Amino acid sequence: MTMERANTAKRLPFFPYPAQSPLLRVDKLSLRYVSRTGPTAILSDVSFELGRGEILGVIGESGAGKSTVGNAILGLLAPEFEQTSGTIAFDGKVLDSMSVGECEALRGKRISAIFQDHTASLDPLMSIGAQVEETCLVLDPSLSRGAARARAIDLLARVGIPEPERRYRSYPHQFSGGQRQRIVIAIALAGSPDIIIADEPTSALDATVQKQVLELLRKLVDETGVSVILVTHDMGVVSEITDRVLVMRKGHVVEADDTAAILDHPRHDYTKSLLAAVPRLRIPAKGESGEGVAPSSGETATVERPLLVAEAISKEFMPQGFGLGSVLGIGQKRPGFGLRDVGIRLPRGTITGIVGESGSGKTTFGRILAGLDTAHEGRIVIGGHSFEAATSGRRSGLLGRVQMIFQDPSVSLNPRLTIAETLEESIRFGARVGSGDRSATEAAGAMMDRLGLARSLLARHPHQLSGGQKQRVCIARALLANPEIIVADEPTSALDVSVQAEIVRLLKETISEKGMTMVFISHDLAIVQAMCSAVYIFKNGRVEDFGPSDFIFSRSDNPYTRTLIAARPERFTC
Amino acid sequence: MTASKVLLASYILVAIAAPLIAPQNPYDPLQIFGWEASSPPGTMGSGGYLYLLGTDGLGRDIVSTILYGLRISLVVAIVSSAIAALIGLTAGVSAAYFGKWVDATIMRLVDLQLSLPTILIALIAIVTLGPGIDRIILALVIVQWATYARIARGVALSEVKKPYMDAARLMRLPTSRVIFRHLLPNSIAPAITLIPIEVGHAVALEATLSFLGLGVPIDKPSLGSAVANGFQYLMTGQYWISLFPGLALFGLIACINLVGEDVRRNLDPRSQTR
Amino acid sequence: MGMISVAFGRLSQAFLLLIAMSLIGFIGIHSVGNPVFNVVNIETATPEDIRLATIALGLDQPLWRQYLVFIGNVVSGNFGTSYIYHRPAFELVMSKLPATLELASIAMLIAAPLGIGFGLLAGRRSGTLFDRTLLKASVSALSIPSFWLAMMLILVGAILTGWFPSGGRGATLHVLGAEWSFLTGNGLWHLVLPALALAIPNIALIARLSRSGTIEVESQDFTRFCRAKGLSSRRILLRHTLPNISVPIVTIIGLQFGGMLAFAVVVESIFSWPGIGKLLIDSIQLLDRPVVMATLTFIAVAFVALNAIVDLFYAVLDPRVRLSS
Repeated sequence: MTMERANTAKRLPFFPYPAQSPLLRVDKLSLRYVSRTGPTAILSDVSFELGRGEILGVIGESGAGKSTVGNAILGLLAPEFEQTSGTIAFDGKVLDSMSVGECEALRGKRISAIFQDHTASLDPLMSIGAQVEETCLVLDPSLSRGAARARAIDLLARVGIPEPERRYRSYPHQFSGGQRQRIVIAIALAGSPDIIIADEPTSALDATVQKQVLELLRKLVDETGVSVILVTHDMGVVSEITDRVLVMRKGHVVEADDTAAILDHPRHDYTKSLLAAVPRLRIPAKGESGEGVAPSSGETATVERPLLVAEAISKEFMPQGFGLGSVLGIGQKRPGFGLRDVGIRLPRGTITGIVGESGSGKTTFGRILAGLDTAHEGRIVIGGHSFEAATSGRRSGLLGRVQMIFQDPSVSLNPRLTIAETLEESIRFGARVGSGDRSATEAAGAMMDRLGLARSLLARHPHQLSGGQKQRVCIARALLANPEIIVADEPTSALDVSVQAEIVRLLKETISEKGMTMVFISHDLAIVQAMCSAVYIFKNGRVEDFGPSDFIFSRSDNPYTRTLIAARPERFTC
Repeated sequence: MTASKVLLASYILVAIAAPLIAPQNPYDPLQIFGWEASSPPGTMGSGGYLYLLGTDGLGRDIVSTILYGLRISLVVAIVSSAIAALIGLTAGVSAAYFGKWVDATIMRLVDLQLSLPTILIALIAIVTLGPGIDRIILALVIVQWATYARIARGVALSEVKKPYMDAARLMRLPTSRVIFRHLLPNSIAPAITLIPIEVGHAVALEATLSFLGLGVPIDKPSLGSAVANGFQYLMTGQYWISLFPGLALFGLIACINLVGEDVRRNLDPRSQTR
Repeated sequence: MGMISVAFGRLSQAFLLLIAMSLIGFIGIHSVGNPVFNVVNIETATPEDIRLATIALGLDQPLWRQYLVFIGNVVSGNFGTSYIYHRPAFELVMSKLPATLELASIAMLIAAPLGIGFGLLAGRRSGTLFDRTLLKASVSALSIPSFWLAMMLILVGAILTGWFPSGGRGATLHVLGAEWSFLTGNGLWHLVLPALALAIPNIALIARLSRSGTIEVESQDFTRFCRAKGLSSRRILLRHTLPNISVPIVTIIGLQFGGMLAFAVVVESIFSWPGIGKLLIDSIQLLDRPVVMATLTFIAVAFVALNAIVDLFYAVLDPRVRLSS
């Protein structure tokens, strides 16, 4: 222990180490989770090494045990976990994955962490400066108050917080998500650690912000020589900044190699399938778009006979005040991101994409189209019928003409109804056909067949189905109501990558089979490109850019569109 | 945990079977002997049975008073909680579904009530309504419905925002079907788990009101009024008149609370994983 | 901005509450019985006596007018004259207030530190024997009917052992225009049992809340992050957990203090403690309408005021409310 301390004290903070013996070696680590129902194996014989100044990506789908690896190294496992075999050796010293006390000296100082949820990672009641300063002081008690403060300001500046002196006294809720994650990184760096364990550090961020945070991480690694274990589900993140990759599945290491080797020559089938499932953005060479169809002619085709036209949709978000204060107009209005003068046209039988980052108003717009929300102004014309968007959908008759598929299948089905009951309701009330039970059952069964679901699932309740199965049931429900138009709001983003591809394929096929028209809302450019013939790009409640898909991805010179495309991982853009 | 369940079950059984197992009918003046008032525990009575826990100031057997009092306490508490749950759940779920002025009106009332201590509401209600068992039940309903309404509304509000409710609306289901098939079944579970704990509160509140002389009539005492009857004798050392009914009352409330906690813990998925 | 809207919300709610309170209470008291018979002797009074007494009490007026008169009086701090004591009702309530305030304050001074201490300890060691014992004990403490607890305290603390007096305020000292028991040894001695009777359920309540708050906060990501960044458990407890659970704890202490004012009704009756609770029960039984109304209104106002203070405190403690603009 004393040796460790001395070693640390002598160490120069930002000196890049030459490659030598691995900094961290995990050897045949096996863990299980012991619950009331008995033990479940979480990790089986996981082995890997981490060198100095290296970024190691640990990738896998949900249930792969990737986060558990990070927590075992940090000693943050819940007491229900039990290590059955293996060792974790840090700088030649064996760590006990379960012990808290022994690790405390190492933690923060030599091994620190970044978690996914930047909001929950910071104490909401303490100013951010105090939180960084506190960490500096604890990790180096010899610092004076002033020195700790100077160091905290320096750290905040290094992670790209503008005007750190001025914002020192601000609280976490006064920063944006990307800035909060930068502050978390500053705290993780405070002790000049050897290793940072970053668990999905950018998954909660928008693509453009994600790109910046990843670049920051790479820069810090290059500057300070810190090593990073980056736990993620996202191949894009792995391809952007890691040096080596560990592919995990169900607690096993499937494959480990240099990032380039994994991406170019994956050996294991699982890695291949993971890579194949990542949607790729294809940027057509200029002039290659379609059969030389100019954007203008594409637009005239759109104008001819659109099935749906939404005009001048505007919606303001009022601050949710309480009591007299808001009634009297005391207090400032929050800068709400509503919708401002948004219009779209949907040609019959096509899929149109709406792309935007969080807060762009894309989901609100989808709900207004379906009649679930009202706007303050504007109208929606469907096949000649005009609906005032300011009137409630139920009253104007808009409600029910458009069906929706929602983002999170786990809350999109009534947990107390069987699948059959859910689907029959859609046939009886949505489509308003065949009150005969026989025909409804048959229609539901046929739809199950078409979507690749066993008919035996009809008798089950939603919680007995996997995420992918649930989302197919949601698709079935929307299709069975037999609408002309379906709005799909991020239908794949809550699913594992390998399931996503299948859902996208099914959606595209069934929509064209039935001759339906779809609005596909997504933040993922590659999926939109694969699905849609036309794209609208939303930003801050406005349509920033629109046009045929080929045009948007190859020739649009809108700077925001270009930024979005540039934020895509290069490896998966071609 | 199981011990409290067994105890609660035996409380209920004993309350049901009170006329069969009680040595004496304390409501029947012919079975009570005034000269045996305030006999200490273990006295042999002239009715031919042992006063196991003694007699009260009127000569009634304490065991029998407890058994009969238990009936009244339990009936008052259970009936009032059931009615309060029914009213509260309906009000809460309706407030969440309809929103706007329905929500505003119901929740104003709820806020009003929950912002005052229960004992104060009960006092106001009972002073307004006057004495009698039916009035006590009404007063307890007035005290309790707001708790159910608030919980049910909170849950229903988060359920209403879930996409499956949107999907139901998109199917143009009749309003009644949306409420009773989709919203209500998914909203009432947390409120249902409240019932045992609220029954415990009701028992305690009824006892307090009876103790203050504002509860059930003195000739048909609940456990609370049985304790109250013994208060004046406490100072002269005749402790058994208030001790034993109070002990029975305490045991009853404690069992209900323990079982209630258990029910709530088992039905709350969040605490299950901890 | 957050604080202003909190304050306005509170004020509007308090206003509604007071109107409803006074209406319900006023009608309620009226329906109980004719208070004239408390003033005149039922057996000997002639109809003329009763008529004169009715007019003297203002009871010949229609109900709504009586209510308006009442409201007008309330606004000017005049609740009428007690039918029994022949003193202004509000003045009567105020004269009893110091006794209740002192009882509730001493009880809270016992309950808050003990409750928070137990709760923090149990929350930090959730699942241990101490935690489980505390949980069981708190359920028991919350299950004891308050009046029976008070009686058993008398039985054990006064009758069987003779350690403490069984009732009354004991010797008092006249300071700042009111009598105070806690300033004399004898008075303090009289305070022990009633204060314990009020404090015991509140120890349990505060302990349970601190415990669940501690568990909740310590399971959140930021405390996990604090551990990962190398802070000691002690520092996490003092600098992060405690401030974060202080918000709900302050809330419950404020509310329970108001609750004590109301629950004093029971404890004061049993210990013959001459505070507003005893006054209320006596007045209800004597149908002394002005005093009942004055007392109920006072408790409601005190409660609303406490709520408002708690809310403002909440805003001060939580930067998310304080700085939301």
